[in-house]
Amino acid sequence: MSSSDDIARVRETLLSRYEGLETKADILKSPELKELLAGIRNVEPSQRSAYGQAVNALQQELKEKVLSNMHEKSALPPIDVTAPFDINGEMPSLLPSENGTTHPLTQEIATLSDIFYRMGYVVEESREIDDQYHMFEALNFPKGHPARDDYDTFMTVEKDADGEPFVAPAHTSTMQNRILKKYRENLEKGEAIAAIVPDRVFRNEDLDARHEHTFYQVEGVYVAKGVHAGMLIATLQQFLQEYYGKELDVRVNPFYFPFTEPSFEFALSCPFCGGKDDSCKVCSGEGWVELLGCGMIHPNVLKAADIDPNEYTGFAFGCGIDRLVMMKYQIEDVRHFESAKLDFLRQFE
Amino acid sequence: MKVSLNTIKQFTQVNLPVDELVKKINQQLGGVEDVIDLRKRYEGAVIAQVVKCEKHPNADKLSVCEIDDGSGQLTQVVCGAPNVREGLTVVWLKPGATVPATFNDPEPFVLEPKELRGVVSNGMLASAKELALGDDHSGIVELTDTDLLPGKTLSIGFSFAETFGLDDTIIDIENKMFTHRPDLFGQLGVAREIAGIGHTAFTSPDWYKNLPDFAIGEGLELHVENKASDVVPRFMAVAIKDVEVKPSPLWLQCALVAMGSKPINNIVDVTNYIMLLTAQPTHAYDYDKLRGHFLGTRMAQAGEELPLLNGKTYKLDESDIIIVDGEGPVGLAGIMGGGNSEVSSDTKNIVLEVANFDMYAVRKSSMRHGLFTDALTRFNKGQSPLQNPNVINLLMMSIHDVAGGAQASKMFDETASQHAAQQVTASDEFINARLGLALQSQEINSLLQNVEFTISPADGERTFTAPFWRTDIVDPEDIVEEVGRLYGFDKLPRELPKRSTKPAPKNASQVRKQRIRETLAKAGANEVLTYSFVHENTMKKVGQDVEHAFKLSNALSPDLQYYRTSLMSSLLDKVPMNFRAGHDAFALYEIGKTHFKGEMDEAEPDVPNEDTHVALVLTSGNKNATGSAYYQARKYLEQLTSLDDIHLQPLSEFDVSTDEWGAQLTSAYAPQRSAVLVKDGQIWGVIGEFSEAVKAAFKLPQATAGFEVHINVLNARSNTYKPLSRFPSIWQDISLKIAQNVAYKDLFETTKKAALAAADGAEVDIAPVSIYQAENDTESKTISFRITLTHHERTLTEAHAAAVMDSIAVSANNELSAGVV
Repeated sequence: MSSSDDIARVRETLLSRYEGLETKADILKSPELKELLAGIRNVEPSQRSAYGQAVNALQQELKEKVLSNMHEKSALPPIDVTAPFDINGEMPSLLPSENGTTHPLTQEIATLSDIFYRMGYVVEESREIDDQYHMFEALNFPKGHPARDDYDTFMTVEKDADGEPFVAPAHTSTMQNRILKKYRENLEKGEAIAAIVPDRVFRNEDLDARHEHTFYQVEGVYVAKGVHAGMLIATLQQFLQEYYGKELDVRVNPFYFPFTEPSFEFALSCPFCGGKDDSCKVCSGEGWVELLGCGMIHPNVLKAADIDPNEYTGFAFGCGIDRLVMMKYQIEDVRHFESAKLDFLRQFE
Repeated sequence: MKVSLNTIKQFTQVNLPVDELVKKINQQLGGVEDVIDLRKRYEGAVIAQVVKCEKHPNADKLSVCEIDDGSGQLTQVVCGAPNVREGLTVVWLKPGATVPATFNDPEPFVLEPKELRGVVSNGMLASAKELALGDDHSGIVELTDTDLLPGKTLSIGFSFAETFGLDDTIIDIENKMFTHRPDLFGQLGVAREIAGIGHTAFTSPDWYKNLPDFAIGEGLELHVENKASDVVPRFMAVAIKDVEVKPSPLWLQCALVAMGSKPINNIVDVTNYIMLLTAQPTHAYDYDKLRGHFLGTRMAQAGEELPLLNGKTYKLDESDIIIVDGEGPVGLAGIMGGGNSEVSSDTKNIVLEVANFDMYAVRKSSMRHGLFTDALTRFNKGQSPLQNPNVINLLMMSIHDVAGGAQASKMFDETASQHAAQQVTASDEFINARLGLALQSQEINSLLQNVEFTISPADGERTFTAPFWRTDIVDPEDIVEEVGRLYGFDKLPRELPKRSTKPAPKNASQVRKQRIRETLAKAGANEVLTYSFVHENTMKKVGQDVEHAFKLSNALSPDLQYYRTSLMSSLLDKVPMNFRAGHDAFALYEIGKTHFKGEMDEAEPDVPNEDTHVALVLTSGNKNATGSAYYQARKYLEQLTSLDDIHLQPLSEFDVSTDEWGAQLTSAYAPQRSAVLVKDGQIWGVIGEFSEAVKAAFKLPQATAGFEVHINVLNARSNTYKPLSRFPSIWQDISLKIAQNVAYKDLFETTKKAALAAADGAEVDIAPVSIYQAENDTESKTISFRITLTHHERTLTEAHAAAVMDSIAVSANNELSAGVV
């Protein structure tokens, strides 16, 4: 008799015995099973591995049967799901209102959305999975462009219609082309395209106290006739002054992004110490906080949305929201945000 | 990009103090990451001469030297180097000096007078390694006049750093800033920009600007062919005979180290130095190792292998550009040379190569091989092929200066196509409109001419011709950027755009989400945000099939491998941790996106569909205080939506076999104690308690339940007003005993219908009061309702109420065999 027949025969026996057992777990103590397990070491070395696997598979099958039976037995009786409360029960109550909180990041998104809304901007949402056309190409990152390397982008195994992997957007600018197209008709009516996109983005970065692979960013887009770079600086300055509730100085340094020309790195005078405190945790006494990237929208980006860059110009900016919240409350570890720890969350009413 | 201020000063005057220069670079060129003052590292390093050198009385390998440090007095130093001898000019590190190699160590080594085997040594004579100039520790550095740059002299007692150009400041500028600026990966390019932002005219040196005339050398047979001309716009090469390979003069070694490179030998050092100067990578091959006296390019064949200078062998494919000799690959184009053609100390003849490679092609190779080099960093920015003749000419001259030799072949120049400088047309109006400025033509022209643009005519709509090294000037907006940056972005007028008073429309989805957040927070629940990606095991723990989830190909860890198909698994994951932290009753909720592989967006079919769900999990620990946890979850759900037009169908009656999405959504729940939310014949969500297997897998407390719902099904409760009646309402309770298996909802509907039928113009409100079951009778239950009647035109009587109660009793009995208790 071959060993695999052996196992099959024992399996039949045990399965039929299982049905009759009062204490189902006893099946795992059957002498036949023990014998099979003990017999593994007597099998010829060339077949031992296959035989061992087959015996273990049988043992595993029986274990799962026992476990699922245990779950079935401990399962609670059916309830009437259409009823408002339980039999002999009371109307359930809600938890105390004072325990309830919204997340500090969504609170901040609401705050800054409100400021931009008052400034005439519509609020749009981003995507969590997108194609490379929107993440890169429509933003003037040609295929194979080295600037793509600066965005440590998660890619999927699944491919889009072009045969390119989908991406987890590394910036909410992935919505820029869609927004420009959606509101293009504003321009014909002599109105501006003005939108922000506060939403979740992803970077393939190792986690530590200062780096998250999942974070939030607000993208801003403004296009109209006669928009110039000074307006970008003024708009961001006004926003930040409203956000912090005080007069602030701002500064731009040249930078490079493929989707803006010129591009800037934007800093504001430290809203917490004004540069007067060498031990300031936010600016380290330097007096400036580098906050965001921005610039005048590249003509190729406008063209990709069928907007004539000779007639209309605009600016765009992207700002990390987690950082704003961390600075505001002096939160020491960015990982708290996605930790779902109540001890953290309940500090933000 | 490490910028040597001393090198910059060879090309342009710098009058600003370092801190102001750094500020200006930050504002007008790019972010400065670090400023290193090399002078400090070499403080106390002095040029000295060994006047007397005798064997140490107590140690075989040590010598006792008297050195002249220019002070007029001799100083005694003990030295262990085998090459120390009388008459040598050396670098003396005097007492108090820090050994330069240890300068950045946590505990730098500071010299002081010290007895060595009974003889006092005042400081030390330094080796290259101690001076942080290389790894050579076999002997002390011997200085000769050939180590100097022209114009410098070896003066005893003089500062070593000043003599060898190490009295330098290194300004390290973020590479990211220069992604579009191939020219700024060379000292020359940065020097030009520093002049430009200082509003000073810059003139490139003749060797870079003027096309050289090449001699026709002879003596070595060489064949050159560029077979990959699609991706190799230019390939120049020349053979040089009779070079002497040796260490570079010390000034060159010092210059390389200052700019972050490493000296190897005079030939390699010169190729590197010229790259650091001009941004154009160059390469030298050992002529005698090139089989068939051939050097060329072609695309690699799949499976070909190439050992590179780093000692590793790489497997090539058809997308790699390679450099080949007569028999096979000798270099990975634009990235690294091959080990088989390397210049070594025996090399007599060399071939110099200065080529141009397609930035996309070399980047792709580098990404695939995971190979990043200084040459690649420069090539993948798009170097100009127009600089190749100038650079190879300088390279030839410099090799001659440090290694001798003579040109031994013609200058090969395999140019694939004509290259021309970029031209862009723009007007003052175009430029000023985008900057908010009112610059005159002359001001604009001057800013650009300072960095060697040519402009014609002098005003109006005109042509701006970029200097040949600027491959980034393509659109008129590029001219706008140049003008703005060189002028100073800090001087732009800050004015807000003029806007219309039309209100910006609110985003309905954001409003809806915000309302959900506020409602649930008011109900004592806590909003959480969790990752969009989950572990395969997390999905399996809730019984989900990973086949339905989009999968990341470059996940950081298995923890974040799959896009979640529902939010609940992430929430369940967070329950035990909070429970253990001492929170015994709480509710967590999240609003987030879910993805189901294969489902594409309706409006935009090229991208996957995204559903927004709200999920909530609540637990009251291990005790069921007031009944099953299900009902508490239901109470929360009812905060978000009226259940009037949403049908709660028992999950046990829902057929998962025909609905993959539904199966995925509901797999975690106990079928007998959960319901799916059905509206218009479609499932929109699930609510219930979790199966025993899920509770065990996540270690959930017993009294745990939750729901997950597509937010589009939540019918926002809006305020509706019913006029108040002038007449008092009357109410009466009715208790109906029915079979255990009759659903509450059926009795409720029957009651409502019957009440309305008999209401005679009164409004009817029905509220549950209790659901009772006797301990000894589990076959039936008694449900009590409070019936409230309100009429707008008259006072209701007892008789009116009795009629309604009778109608209810009759219908309930007829339809559901219920008896009034």
